Amino acid sequence: MIIRKLCMRQSRQLLALSRRAPVSSRFQSTLPETPVETLQTSIRDEISRADNPLFEMVQAQSEATTPAHQEFTSDEPQRSNFKKLGTTVKSSYDPENVIRNPPKPSQISLEMLLAAGTHLGHSTSRWNPQNSRYIFGIREGVHIISLDVTAAHLRRAAKVVEEVAARGGLILFAGTRKGQKRAVVKAASLAKGYHIFERWIPGSLTNGEQILGHCETKVVNALDEELPNFKSDLADRPSLKPDLVVCLNPLENVVLLHECGLNNVPTIGVIDTDADPTRVTYPIPSNDDSLRATCLIAGILGRAGEAGQLRRLKMAQEGRTSYTPITAQELRLDPFTGLAPGGEGVKK
Amino acid sequence: MAWHKPTSLAQAMQSLRLTSTLTKPSTQASRTTLNTLRTRTYATEAESVPAAAAPEINFGSFSQKPARIIPSSPSYFSGSPRFIDHVLALEALQAKHAALPIVATSEAPRMAWFKLPQFRDYVGEPVPMKKYKSLVKILQRLNRIQPDMVPAEVRDTLATFLRPGNPYAVENVPRTVDENGRARGKGKRKESTAVVQLVEGEGEVLVNGKSIVEVFKRVHDRESALWALRCTQRLDKYNAWIRVQGGGVTGQAEAITLALGRALLLHEPGLKAVLRKAGAITVDARRVERKKPGHVKARKMPTWVKR
Repeated sequence: MIIRKLCMRQSRQLLALSRRAPVSSRFQSTLPETPVETLQTSIRDEISRADNPLFEMVQAQSEATTPAHQEFTSDEPQRSNFKKLGTTVKSSYDPENVIRNPPKPSQISLEMLLAAGTHLGHSTSRWNPQNSRYIFGIREGVHIISLDVTAAHLRRAAKVVEEVAARGGLILFAGTRKGQKRAVVKAASLAKGYHIFERWIPGSLTNGEQILGHCETKVVNALDEELPNFKSDLADRPSLKPDLVVCLNPLENVVLLHECGLNNVPTIGVIDTDADPTRVTYPIPSNDDSLRATCLIAGILGRAGEAGQLRRLKMAQEGRTSYTPITAQELRLDPFTGLAPGGEGVKK
Repeated sequence: MAWHKPTSLAQAMQSLRLTSTLTKPSTQASRTTLNTLRTRTYATEAESVPAAAAPEINFGSFSQKPARIIPSSPSYFSGSPRFIDHVLALEALQAKHAALPIVATSEAPRMAWFKLPQFRDYVGEPVPMKKYKSLVKILQRLNRIQPDMVPAEVRDTLATFLRPGNPYAVENVPRTVDENGRARGKGKRKESTAVVQLVEGEGEVLVNGKSIVEVFKRVHDRESALWALRCTQRLDKYNAWIRVQGGGVTGQAEAITLALGRALLLHEPGLKAVLRKAGAITVDARRVERKKPGHVKARKMPTWVKR
C-alpha cells in the first residue's frame, strides 16, 4: 500500500517534470510534437500591459497561495481570450471618455457640441426672453440653441479660464447636480483649481471667516512649492475667495452666484434657455440638463485651465511671474489694519 | 590672418574665448585700481585695508520668496475639505480595485471603524451622520475584497479608519470566584445599580454598610432582595456585602436580586436552572418611557375639550 502510494507520488512528480520540459526545449530548433504551455507564461503574455490593474495580481500569483486565489487568476487568460472575440467596434461613443480624456478648447467643433446635445433648450413656454439672441429656432415646441454661438462663447470662456490660471488665480468649479461630481473633480484637478459638488454652503464668501475659517491654507512660491516658514503668518488671515467661478448649474446655485456678485468674483455659467444670462459674467448658452453636455463643457474648461497652469509654471521656471506676488513683508503685517502685529508700527 | 580662412574661424573664436576668460580677472583688477584711484586723496596715507569678500549668491532666493496664499486642499470651498478628500481617495481606490473578487459580507473580516464622534475628532470637522455612513459604505465594500488578495494600499488605507485597539480581539474571560473566596455580581433594574460581593459565611447581609432591615422597611422588598438565596435555601450559607445606588426602593431591591443571583452562580454554577426558573437571573430591561410632545405623559393624551 505504502509503496504503491510512494510510486504514485513519484510518478506524479515525474509527470510534472515532463510538463516543465518544453520551456527549455523552446530554444531547440525543433519543437516537440505537443507543445504544452505553462500557465504562468501564458498569463504574462496575455496581460503584459502595466496599466492593467490585473497585472500586479498576476505577478503576485507566482508566489500564490490559496485555492480561491489560484482559481481567480487561472480564469484570467480565459477572460482575456473572450475579449478578443467578436467584431471590432469603431467610432463608438464611450461616455467615460469625455471625463477621462476631455477635449482641448482648440478641438471644439459644432459636431462635437451637437453630439453632446448642447443645442437642446427648454420648452418654449419656459424661456427667458433675454436668451433670444442665443436661440436658433423652435423645433417640436423646444427652443434650439445656436451651436455657433455656443462654440464662440465656450471658446471665450476657455480663454478666460486659461488667462486666470496663467495669472495664478483660484478657479472654483461648481456642479452640484447628481452625476456631475466626477466631471467637476476631473476639471478641477486638470486646472489645479477647486471643486464643489455638494451643496454650496450659503455664506462661504460673505461670511467666510465662520464657514471656511478652519480650512487649511498654505503659502507657496511661484513654482507652487509650499513654504512652511510662513505657516505662522497664516493664523489670522481672512478666508480665501476664488478669482473665477465656473458654475455648471446656475439655476440651483443662485446663492453662489449672488455671493460672487457681491464679492466682485467673475463667473462663468452654463445658461439654458430658461436661465437668466445676466446672473453670470460669461454665459455659455447650452443645455444644462444633459450630463453629457455639462461634462463636455467642464472638461474643455478644465483643459483650458491646464494650459494656463503650464504657461504659468513655465514662466516661473524662468524666474518671472505674470502677477504681483505677495511679499514676505505683507504676510507679516496684519491683513485688516496693515500694521505690524505688535499694534504700533508704521502704516503700510 | 585667421579671418581669411573660414576653417580657421572656429579656431579664432576659441582663442578669443580663451583670452576673454584669461583677461577677466585682469579687467576686474583694473576696475578696482580705477576705483581706488578715484577715491584716493592726495594726502599721504597707509595702504588701504583689503575689502571683505561679497556674500555668496543666494540661488534659492526666487524659490524661497512667497508668491501666493492658496488652499491646502482642492475641496477648500466645500467647508469640510478633509472629509471630502478622504471620500474622493476612497472612491478612487474602490474604482481601481473593482475587478478583484469579493466575499460575502458575513465572511469579510470584522472591522471596528471609527464611531462618528471619533471620526469627527480624526478629521476635525463636523461631519453629519449621513455623510459618514456613505463613507463607511465604501470602507465596507473595500473590506469585502477577498482577504488573501487585498492589495497593500487598500489594507493600509483601511487601517487608518480603525478605532485604536481592536475591540473584536478581546475575548471575554469567564468570571470566577477570586482568591479570597469572593464572587462579584452586578445587577441593574430601573435606575438602580447594585454590586454584590458574596462570600461563604453565616448569612450576614450589609447593604451600603447598614443592615438590610434598615434599608428596606417593607418585608416584600427584603424578600425580593434576597430571593436568589431564599429560593435555593442558602440564606445562612453566604455573607453578602452590597453596594446599591440610584433609583427608588423597589428598583434597588430588584437590582440586588439580579446581582445576588449572578454572584451565587459563580459559587455554584449548578443552580443555574433553579435560579432561572425563580426569575433571579432574568434581566428586566424595561425603563421609564420618555414623555412625548403633545402628550401629557409618555402616552396619555390631554383631555378632549369641545372648544
